[in-house]
Amino acid sequence: MANLARFTNKALRTAYSITKHHAQPQLASSERAFATEAAKSITPSPDRVNWDYRGQRKIIPLGQWLPKIAVDAYVAPNVVLAGQVHVWDGASVWPGCVLRGDLNKISIGFCSNVQERCVLHAAWSSPTGLPAETSIERYVTIGAYSLLRSCTIEPEVIIGQHSILMEGSIVETHSILEAGSVVPPGRIIPSGELWAGNPAKFVRTLTHEETLEIPKLAVAINDLSKDHYHEFLPYSTIYLEVEKFKKSLGISV
Amino acid sequence: MGTLGRAIYSVGQLIRKTGQAVDRLGSHLQGGYIEEQLSRHRTVLNIFDKAPVIDKDVFVAPSAAVIGDVQIGKGSSIWYGSVLRGDVNIIRIGSGTNLQDNSLVHVAKSNLSGKVLPTIIGDNVTVGHSAVLHGCTVEDEAFVGMGAILLDGVVVEKNAMVAAGALVRQNTKIPSGEVWAGNPAKFLRKLTDEEIAFISQSATNYTNLAQVHAAENSKSYEEIEF
Repeated sequence: MANLARFTNKALRTAYSITKHHAQPQLASSERAFATEAAKSITPSPDRVNWDYRGQRKIIPLGQWLPKIAVDAYVAPNVVLAGQVHVWDGASVWPGCVLRGDLNKISIGFCSNVQERCVLHAAWSSPTGLPAETSIERYVTIGAYSLLRSCTIEPEVIIGQHSILMEGSIVETHSILEAGSVVPPGRIIPSGELWAGNPAKFVRTLTHEETLEIPKLAVAINDLSKDHYHEFLPYSTIYLEVEKFKKSLGISV
Repeated sequence: MGTLGRAIYSVGQLIRKTGQAVDRLGSHLQGGYIEEQLSRHRTVLNIFDKAPVIDKDVFVAPSAAVIGDVQIGKGSSIWYGSVLRGDVNIIRIGSGTNLQDNSLVHVAKSNLSGKVLPTIIGDNVTVGHSAVLHGCTVEDEAFVGMGAILLDGVVVEKNAMVAAGALVRQNTKIPSGEVWAGNPAKFLRKLTDEEIAFISQSATNYTNLAQVHAAENSKSYEEIEF
């Protein structure tokens, strides 16, 4: 009787495991092994914060480094400034940008603008041996969705949208990079020229009139950013109300 | 029936708007109303029954969005602004991997070739800023450059590198130890051993960096000091 029970138990267990295997999602065999291994080793934390009413903080100091924003610079509430970031006067950083100065310094010069969804990062060291900070000088327009990493942008430059500037690249003054250009590491874009493409190649030199337009674009965007700037009060105080409320009710979110 | 349903819906809408207007009037009488809204952004969001499973050592930036059936292994980091949408299929991310700022990991339900693939990212992978990974497999210790776009069915093998700004077309296989670049992505050169060692080093660096950011981001209101 006991033997029969043991036998049926074992049969049921194997039958169950077979059906369980078949019921798993249709992955290739290697991927399945990979996925289940990974699943076994994850230990989720019960107090992981899934939702923070404060959202993402705009200014994230890391250790000693505190991001500095000039008083008349417009930095959208959506932006993340972490580490050593300096946004100088008249500059604007539009929504969705991430400026991570955690390994090295990032500075946005006077009247420059970093448009939507850009990511500015600075590597620890640059392949050219020069200081690897990302420095954007005055009157520079950086188009939307660009990625800048440890590059130096000299005054009065336009960087097209969705361009990628890799470590150590230098864009000299009065030049324009077309949209979608990818500048390989350590490349210098000489003064007064128009470059485009992936990897970026020389297209033509800029006429004097075009060179004069470059700072005008930066100033125009600066004017536009003032409109956006005036929509927001210097800081919001709703978190004070929420904290008071939480304390009175003893809630911890 | 459709028009009746719509009519009822709009009546409900009117009642809600009236209610909100009355609330605003009351706050005015109380002396000024609070116009600001709290952030409703949910960092970890589950779609019905598919919930993300995230290891406790993982740094998920508050502005990131981890949605649906996503599993993230130990020591990985999901940086600011990234979106991992595991809503129509699964996303598996191994340990020690970092998905840098503004990156996107997703799978579409419909595909030109009809196959719908999960996105599987191995251990110690570095995915650069603003990369877009769509239904692809990235094996251990690979490096996806910033701004790269990996379409459906792409397999990036161990120790391979996708250069910055590359567009890797569907079902391309990037063999081990090679650098592919350009739009469309083509073979560029082979990786030197030094560079391969650098890839795993950079993954470790990022794990350490993530701890610093995690500590700062998780500070409560009283602890923030500046």
